[in-house]
Amino acid sequence: MGLLSIIRKIKRKEKEMRILMVGLDNSGKTTIVLKINGEDTSVISPTLGFNIKTMTYDKYTLNIWDVGGQKTIRSYWRNYFEQTDGLVWVVDSSDLRRLDDCKFELDNLLKEERLSGASLLVFANKQDIQGALSPDEIAKVLNLDAMDKTRHWRIVGCSAYTGEGLLEGFDWLVQDIASRIYVLD
Amino acid sequence: MDNQQALSTTATDMSTDPTLDSTTQRKLAAMIERLSSLHQSRVSTKTDLKDPSFESTKSFILLFTNSKQEIESSLTQIQQNSDTNPTLDLKPELEKISLSITELEKFVAESSYFLPPYEVRSSLKTISDLKQTLDSVTSKVKPRKKFSFKNKHAKKPETANVVTKEAIENEPEQQMSYKPKDSPGYRNKENEILIKEFKGSEIGEFVLSNLTNCEVRLKGCFRSLFIDRLQNCKIYVGPVLGSILIEQVEGCLFVVASHQIRIHHAKESDFYLRCRSRPIIEQSFGVRFAPYCLCYDGIESDLKESNLDDDTGSWANVDDFQWLRAVQSPNWSVLQERERIDTVKI
Repeated sequence: MGLLSIIRKIKRKEKEMRILMVGLDNSGKTTIVLKINGEDTSVISPTLGFNIKTMTYDKYTLNIWDVGGQKTIRSYWRNYFEQTDGLVWVVDSSDLRRLDDCKFELDNLLKEERLSGASLLVFANKQDIQGALSPDEIAKVLNLDAMDKTRHWRIVGCSAYTGEGLLEGFDWLVQDIASRIYVLD
Repeated sequence: MDNQQALSTTATDMSTDPTLDSTTQRKLAAMIERLSSLHQSRVSTKTDLKDPSFESTKSFILLFTNSKQEIESSLTQIQQNSDTNPTLDLKPELEKISLSITELEKFVAESSYFLPPYEVRSSLKTISDLKQTLDSVTSKVKPRKKFSFKNKHAKKPETANVVTKEAIENEPEQQMSYKPKDSPGYRNKENEILIKEFKGSEIGEFVLSNLTNCEVRLKGCFRSLFIDRLQNCKIYVGPVLGSILIEQVEGCLFVVASHQIRIHHAKESDFYLRCRSRPIIEQSFGVRFAPYCLCYDGIESDLKESNLDDDTGSWANVDDFQWLRAVQSPNWSVLQERERIDTVKI
């Protein structure tokens, strides 16, 4: 507990949160990050490697790690697990064929010990596309209810294209992390 | 002077000179033998299976599957032996297999620096599977030790079996627990011409799946397109506002426009693209790229509506996720102008 309390103290001083964005390719991770940061989202190439965005949200500083989701580079996700406070799993709600893939990769991720303390926000993205599954349906497909009871999680429908739902999701995530780490505030 | 001459003759004729004393001759013979054995060992290491100098994924896979099959066959052999003759001591055989599995693992580790991550992962998975099989075979055939806690021993494999059984029973249940509806699209067709016109934004995503020898013409704007398992097809598509995902296609022609284009597992196909960002390929080879060349009544306004009205030249900036070196990837190329098709009117 010694080390943990030191880490807590340091984090409390800086009020920093480390957030990891992952999900299959084409789910809209980079678009979400740019949109929430108020940047242009019209020209975004598939992410080769990763992007880091630091932004101030409420009274906290968020370090958002947006990691590419292409199959070839998924094995590198684990390089980013250390010290993650919040995990954002982004789902392309219109890509019905690959939902099995999506479930498989998420299940693998949640087995990871280094992520066991992280709050999980699932973004059911692309809600603006007609025919996309609703957040409830996505939750059923991913079988989120069967998750470990100790995990703090929530699913939020959003559209990175219109910006809808993004703030709702991040509000919950930041509040949830804050209540765990900065419980004394 | 005489002395020196004598020396040089002995040097050349040493091996045949019968007058040479026996110790020198023996030394010489030993030296020749040493040299030849050195040479032999050099030759043999050159052809050694584990030499990573090949640096080619193909030869790695070949060697890997060979030794994997060898291990598997000897495992089944042992199982059969133990079935026919339960008193046989199979311990040395099992140890031998365990050794060769370790060696295979080492081989993968040595080759990992030039292998694509997928191969590394899949071969590591294979190795862990082999280990598991070995474990289960060992627990079956190995004779029990004299002083063992029989109860515990008997329980262990049982509980393991129960767990795997439960897992097997649960898994399909979980997967089948919820089956969402399908997206609109064309599926499982052969030798057909499929034409569709989108008006307004009534359709969000569209799917082309499992088509052979088809021609598909999609006019108008829509939001996203998913394509998988196509053979010898011609695909002409109006502007897509979101992204296009193309998987497992072979011998196809694509004329598509979109903000993002991802191509996985494509073989020998041509892509005529207009793209706002850099198109990417993964696990693909023999794919060629050229600019968009589609025409139908009203395409100009559709392109404008989708913000795809000017060609940014991105179609030539392809990222190959399996080729991270600075030199051009061998998996894709730009189609020569004289080889390109003319503008297609649909």
